[in-house]
Parts: sequence; structure tokens; C-alpha cells
Amino acid sequence: MATSASAKKQDMPPEGGYKPISYKRIPAKTYFSGWALIGGYLGMTAAAGFLYYLNCKRLHRNEIEMRSGRFAIFPLLLAERDREYLKQLRRNRDEEAELMKNVEGWEVGTYYGEPLYKTVDKDKLIDPMMQGYYVHTPWKEFNRRAFIRQWS
Amino acid sequence: MTITNDLNLPTEEELSVQEINLSGPVLKAASFHLGRACLHENNEFMLCRDELGDPRACIEEGKAVTNCALNFFRTVKKTCADEFMQYANCIDKSSPNQQYTPCRKTQAVFDKCAKDDMGIERLPFDYYARVQVHKTARPKPDAEGPAVYPDATPYLPESAEKPPAKYGSRYLFMW
Repeated sequence: MATSASAKKQDMPPEGGYKPISYKRIPAKTYFSGWALIGGYLGMTAAAGFLYYLNCKRLHRNEIEMRSGRFAIFPLLLAERDREYLKQLRRNRDEEAELMKNVEGWEVGTYYGEPLYKTVDKDKLIDPMMQGYYVHTPWKEFNRRAFIRQWS
Repeated sequence: MTITNDLNLPTEEELSVQEINLSGPVLKAASFHLGRACLHENNEFMLCRDELGDPRACIEEGKAVTNCALNFFRTVKKTCADEFMQYANCIDKSSPNQQYTPCRKTQAVFDKCAKDDMGIERLPFDYYARVQVHKTARPKPDAEGPAVYPDATPYLPESAEKPPAKYGSRYLFMW
């Protein structure tokens, strides 16, 4: 029977009893209080905003300087461009006259004498469209100029 | 082409002058002093171009601009060639888009030379981006008046009687 068998040893608490259960909250060490954090955030944002403003001002100033430099040489470039443009218009007109000289009833700049613009003054220069301007050149030249955005 | 034989185009000879044979960075480097030296010609040309809106009408002014720039570059070549070429070289090679900022040192050297030898001072950095006031002897072009149509409906005469509406008018809150 069980009485004669060696008695089973019951698990008992250790000497002096169990340690108290650690349930107490141990918060992390705080370096800054809430107000200090908010104040620090606002202060840093303000400082960064000021630096951003300084940088913006500098970049804006540089942009204005670049634009100013471009404007200073713009008349020179425009004058040269105008002369070349007018030369090319004359070349185009001469080329068309040469090309169409055997066509009966053809008038330069018109479609068999029917002008494109009817109500404007005859001596008013209306810029031709780009395809018309490049019509006597190889297509490569037109592509090179027309799609300059894609090339560069 | 839409260019007819009735259109007056200047001939090749009228348009041929000696052009400025310089590349972009050099022009960019010279721009502030060039603009100062040719301020009157540039403004005259731009005014003409803006007022008349026709490249044929402003050829003489354009030639004056090119001539002035040519003379300017001749003077630079005579007096400050080394300083200027250093500055232009810096502008050319310091940035992909010819920025002025990386070249302040060479710019200061060229500025000093231009001021001492050529008598051209550098204008404020935004001078050419400002509105330019230009005094000129060029006559003002006639302003285009309002269009006149011969078959337009005539206005009511000034003396016409305008009695109040016979049956009142529609009145709604919004319109």
C-alpha cells in the first residue's frame, strides 16, 4: 500500500518563501519632459525654417542673376537671328520660284494664285509655320530642330 | 510657303554684316559688361522690335547692336584679354549651365580690370531683369484704333427718348 512505500516528497516553497512577484512598472529613464520635447521640436523647426529661407533667398538670387545675364545678351542674339531668318525666308522664296517655274499658273507663296491670307495687308510678314520654313531642306534638318527637346 | 512675291524682304547684302563669332559661355561671361556698354543700342533695338513686332523694320537697330558688341569685344581683347579668358573658361567648365556662382574669384579679377582699363563698372546683379527706362528719339507708332465696320448697326441717337419700361422689368434675386 501507499503507506509503506517511500512517501513522495511534496514540492514546497523555498526557504524563506517565494520572492515577491515583480509587477511594479519600471518606466524608461526620461531625459526630457514633454514640454521640453515640444519646445525643442518647435525650436528646431524654426531654426531649420530660417536656414531654408536663407537658402531659398540665395537660389532665387542666383536665378535672377542668370536671367539678368541672359537678358543682357538677348538683343545681340535676337538681332543675329532676325537677319538669318530674313535671309532664309528669301532663300526659301527663291527656291520655290525655281522649283515651280515649269508649273503653269503657279504663283510663289500662293496656291495657283489663291493666297493663304486674304484680309491682311500684302506687305505684312506673317511667320510661316515650321514645316513650311523647313520644306526645302532634308527631313533630318527639320527633325534636328523640331525635336530638339528630345535630342537634348 | 506663305511668303509671296508682294512681300518686301531685304536682300542678302542688306542683311550681311560681320557677326559675333563667339560661343555661349563667352557671351555669358561678357554679358553684364556687354549689356552696360551697349545699353542704349540694346534698348533701342528691343523697343523697336517690341513696338513694331516686325524683324524687317528693325534691321538697322540690330546692326547697331551687333556693331556695338563687336567693338566691345575688340576693346576687351585689347585691354583685359587674359582676365576675360580666364573668367570665360571658368564659366564654361565649372557648371553644366554656365552658372556665375562658382566663378566669383575670376569674376572679381575681370571686374577690376574692366573698371580700371575699360571704364565699365559691373551693374547690380538683377539690373537687366528689371524694367528698363529708355529715353529715345524714336517716334511713337500709331496706335491701332478700334475696328470700324461700315455695315454695323447704328447706335441709338443721343437725343432718343428712353421712357421707363411699360410693364416693369423682371426682377429676380440673383440676376
